[in-house]
Amino acid sequence: MTIAPRRRACVLAALLVAWVAGSVLGATRPAERAAAAPLFQIEPAHAEFAPVLDGSQPIFVLVIGSDARPDQPVESQRADSLHILTINPARHKATIVGIPRDAYVELPGSGQNKINTALFFGGPDLVVATVEQLTGLTFDYWAMTGFAGFEAMIDGVEGLVVDVPFAMDDQASRAFFEPGVQRLAGNDALAFGRNRHDLPAGDFGRSENQGLLMVSALGQFKKEYTKDPSRMLIWVGSFLSNVQTSLPLDELMTLAFTGTAINQNAVTNVVFPGGTGMVGGLSVVQLDQTALATISSDLADDGLLKKKNIPPSPNASLTSGE
Amino acid sequence: MVAAPLPGRYPSRVLSNSTKPPVQANRTERASRKKGRTPIALFAIPAAIVAVIVVLILVLSGGADIPILGGNGEDDEVPAFDFNVKKASAVATVGDADLAALTASAEQTSQDITPTIDDLFTNAFLDPTNWREGDYEEVFEAFAEDAVPAAQQSVETLTLGATAGDLFEDVEPDKGSLAYDVLFDPEANPDTAVVTFHFVAVGERKDGTFVKLVSDGQFFLRDIDGWTITAFDVTRSDRETQPPTPSPSASPSSS
Repeated sequence: MTIAPRRRACVLAALLVAWVAGSVLGATRPAERAAAAPLFQIEPAHAEFAPVLDGSQPIFVLVIGSDARPDQPVESQRADSLHILTINPARHKATIVGIPRDAYVELPGSGQNKINTALFFGGPDLVVATVEQLTGLTFDYWAMTGFAGFEAMIDGVEGLVVDVPFAMDDQASRAFFEPGVQRLAGNDALAFGRNRHDLPAGDFGRSENQGLLMVSALGQFKKEYTKDPSRMLIWVGSFLSNVQTSLPLDELMTLAFTGTAINQNAVTNVVFPGGTGMVGGLSVVQLDQTALATISSDLADDGLLKKKNIPPSPNASLTSGE
Repeated sequence: MVAAPLPGRYPSRVLSNSTKPPVQANRTERASRKKGRTPIALFAIPAAIVAVIVVLILVLSGGADIPILGGNGEDDEVPAFDFNVKKASAVATVGDADLAALTASAEQTSQDITPTIDDLFTNAFLDPTNWREGDYEEVFEAFAEDAVPAAQQSVETLTLGATAGDLFEDVEPDKGSLAYDVLFDPEANPDTAVVTFHFVAVGERKDGTFVKLVSDGQFFLRDIDGWTITAFDVTRSDRETQPPTPSPSASPSSS
């Protein structure tokens, strides 16, 4: 079979026209789109994502400072520093509540005693059980360190920038500071946190200053993370290398990311109020039961304290210049 | 009798297997056909004129490339690119860690992760098939499930952009470097890696101008059925640039 010359001419012509038209359309389509699209904008752009917790369920952590010296086991000494740390992920806020070390409380299974002895009698588990019984709160995690661990942890992040609120001059703790923002090495941060002798409210004021160290750490961590996110690994590494904790690494990382969303000024730092007294020859602190109940129940729902429930600062007389 | 097929050059049965001789038309028939035939020139000349006019319009208006034989004239070859790993540091989570061993493990981890980062940037900036279509699905495969929505929302920062095909003629890699920090769990297993990257490519716009595409930032990766990105912080600081100067000794892939 052959194709008639006339038909062949038609087909050839049609193919030619189709080719030309197709080529033209293929060539012009991108140019038309480019003309219709907005011009390429050269301007800085930023994108970020961090797996922060955003639920409304608060997170409760008990922070335990053992008075273990460098050659002593951390878990079998006294818990001379105790703080409840609560985080509200959804509201990007946190609360720190110090518990005076001499608070005279019921230790589960061990009778009445100073709260700091719970660590000696039963390790961190008994400390957690004691604070849970005292406050009615349930803790998700605990973290504990001693003198050497604390110093090394601070040195591991190249010091802590603290706004020292008032002058300190205490030989016992070797806390010698002028007020103002300064970077404290590990030993200086420890001295700042240990000083109670030149504070009018003694251990109450010291507990608030220990909370201030935590607030400062949060602020510095956030600042460093914002500048260089890889710094998070240094902080996490320094923390875990020097602290005993029930926090698994992956949850600590999530908590660390969550911490980057909390502003330093969104952290409330308080101490359970109370008065001193003597029990059986022991100098103890009797917690203000009304304040204890109010603060504890206020924390329980969202981990935050309402303004009306915030107790006076034990260092108020120093920070107000009185 | 069945005629055996003739060995033919063409697969078409019409041309290779026909055993019938062509029909020879007589003079009257040929004359009759000739009378109704339309000359080829009647179709070809207008078509050629149309083609010439269109080509002239395109050339004079500085339009797109003129394709030959129906092609679109675009080069779909993916430029070769590999990041240069500058360092791999280990971060321990125990006080008595063997830092030398962890550092060696961190270097191995960097080797395990780097192909993922190479592919990510190749898919995001260099593969013409992706940027011409604005389709970056392959890029998002590098991200963990929780991070994918945020990555997709940041497509303009993480990639050449959804409309890159309208804007760019070509994109070539310039340089890229990586620095690793690897966090180890207490059992000395790599847990989290932070990759700090610096990536530069040069894009040629369709109007003949050039832009330096600069991406800096960090990826957090965890080994979840393979190393995947769980968090990111990326900054783009693109800027106008001059056409690249050819250099016979320049490395096309990394620095």
